[in-house]
Amino acid sequence: MAKIELSNISHTYNPNDLNPTYALNPFSMTWENGKRYAILGPSGCGKTTMLNIVSGLLKPSKGNVLFDDNDVTNLITEERNIAQVFQFPVIYSTMTVFDNLAFPLRCRNFSEEKIKERVKSVSDTLRLSTFLNMPARKLTADQKQLISLGRGLVREDVAAVLMDEPLTVIDPDLKFRLRRNLKEINEEYKTTLVYVTHDQNEAMTFADNIIVMDQGEIVQVGLPKDLFERPKTTFVGYFIGSPAMNLFETQLHSDNSVKINDTTIKTNTNLSKLKNNNIKLGIRSEFVKVAKDESENLLEVNIQKIEDFGNFKLLTAKMGQLTIKSKINREIEISNNTIKLHFPAEKCCVYQDNKLI
Amino acid sequence: MEKLYKFLKYTFIILWTVFIVAPFLWAVSTSFKDFQSVNSKVTYIPWLDFEPTLEGWRVLVKSPARGGVDIVEPYFNSIFVTCTASLISIILGTLAAYALSRFTFKAGFVRNNDITFFFISQRIMPPIVLSIPFFIFLSTIGLLDSLLGLVVVYIVLLMPIAVWIMVDFFNRVPKELDETALIDGCNPYQAFYKVVLPNSIPGLIVAGMFCIIFGWIDFFFAFILTFTEVQLLPVKVVALNSSITPWWSLSASALISVAPLIIVAFVVERYLSKGNLSGALK
Repeated sequence: MAKIELSNISHTYNPNDLNPTYALNPFSMTWENGKRYAILGPSGCGKTTMLNIVSGLLKPSKGNVLFDDNDVTNLITEERNIAQVFQFPVIYSTMTVFDNLAFPLRCRNFSEEKIKERVKSVSDTLRLSTFLNMPARKLTADQKQLISLGRGLVREDVAAVLMDEPLTVIDPDLKFRLRRNLKEINEEYKTTLVYVTHDQNEAMTFADNIIVMDQGEIVQVGLPKDLFERPKTTFVGYFIGSPAMNLFETQLHSDNSVKINDTTIKTNTNLSKLKNNNIKLGIRSEFVKVAKDESENLLEVNIQKIEDFGNFKLLTAKMGQLTIKSKINREIEISNNTIKLHFPAEKCCVYQDNKLI
Repeated sequence: MEKLYKFLKYTFIILWTVFIVAPFLWAVSTSFKDFQSVNSKVTYIPWLDFEPTLEGWRVLVKSPARGGVDIVEPYFNSIFVTCTASLISIILGTLAAYALSRFTFKAGFVRNNDITFFFISQRIMPPIVLSIPFFIFLSTIGLLDSLLGLVVVYIVLLMPIAVWIMVDFFNRVPKELDETALIDGCNPYQAFYKVVLPNSIPGLIVAGMFCIIFGWIDFFFAFILTFTEVQLLPVKVVALNSSITPWWSLSASALISVAPLIIVAFVVERYLSKGNLSGALK
């Protein structure tokens, strides 16, 4: 277990080009010991590159990797004592399940007794105990992935367990249970877990801290709540949450209000120093409510459609060219075609050049 | 319709089997004949058509001094040369193939694929092109007409096959397997021989089989690079022929020449049909 520090890391796959394209732009980050992190972002944004740099499969073009303040940038993977689980199950098909799970310990010369004890503990957690003597290649895809995961968890002293979309091949029910298992393992053994995913629900339910990436750039690091309520860029607002955040082109109106079409919307942000161009207002559909007795921040809209998702209704409305989405209680009945929606000032985020003010 | 299909299927299988087996049966039958039974009239069935004799087989083990041709020594020479050259080719070829599959090489305009092609090109050339260089090479280092010289030449001929097959095989082994082994605590060498190699046994078997077959059946280089000291089986078998073709001993020698390959095929087939190749990695 270790604190992992990435200092001024950047990486390009074609360092000899005149203008190399960077898979990872320069960044620094610290992963505290024993916490759960999720790296979230669309395909090709540099998530896997970052993991491979930490595990040592890839040497960063620039910057240093530190484990507990020791520089490990030039150490090979074997010497870093780190675990990594890939998207697709990787098993040693010529070995039994037991030998697969024991392999990382055998490579590090643990005693047979200790190996048996650790393998038993891990196989119990992952419910693989009944398969221990079977050839690993005879198992199903999701059981194979459990073996991959087990090999990552079998070492107690591992610096961190890095997981690259590990639950893709596992069915939803088991996925849910495994995520909870991983949390328990993290709480019990204080193992640092880093979890790469493009599924925001997975990230939100799993991690203490979420790292959102886009095009080789880290756009926001924070608690799930911050990412949800105060996305630092419009990309985060768009990428996190379902449906995506409502975003509107607006004009500045006063020190703390903006105009959408002709309606004034008050915010809790000080807008006095902004220039009046490329300003956007963002608000989550969860916070847009059907107005009851509010007197300001009201938008009169025409209802386009109402979809029933079982636990909520999703209302899609139009105001001129603007589309507004609102998650409403399913008990609320709407009979009129035209209604007023309320934007709570404290939930409104203002963006200039796609960055949060 | 189904009956017709079945009928055609079985007809085809039977015809094909006859096509494959008939020459063997002919050779088996002929190997037990004497001059009279071969040359007088058409005969097929022992004891009914002709009186079987072991003369054709005896000639093969009798020393030349007693009128035999003694193929025992060439036989073991062939086994030694083929096995040694195949083993070394597989070891070197597998290492080369792993490097070509996993690392990126750049030397001027030469890339991994060019190096792989260079290996294969050794087999694309007609063998006659290589005969003079090989002859001069072996005579320079004093290995003409020796087993060691033949082993060296056969390594050159067999390694391309091993490289070709193993590069393709390693390319289909996901690199995550090596990476996982590294993460689990192997150094790169351990990752290769503890994890990648055991997963590549089917490929090794196929490559080994091809090496053995091509090594065993080679006549050309065995013929031009040896004279009196050393002889390999194919050369000796051809040398059996004389003004009167000894069909009986030729048949017998042909049968014991293919015997090792048939045994290899039987042994190897079990491994290949186990399905070890598929489903092992994903």
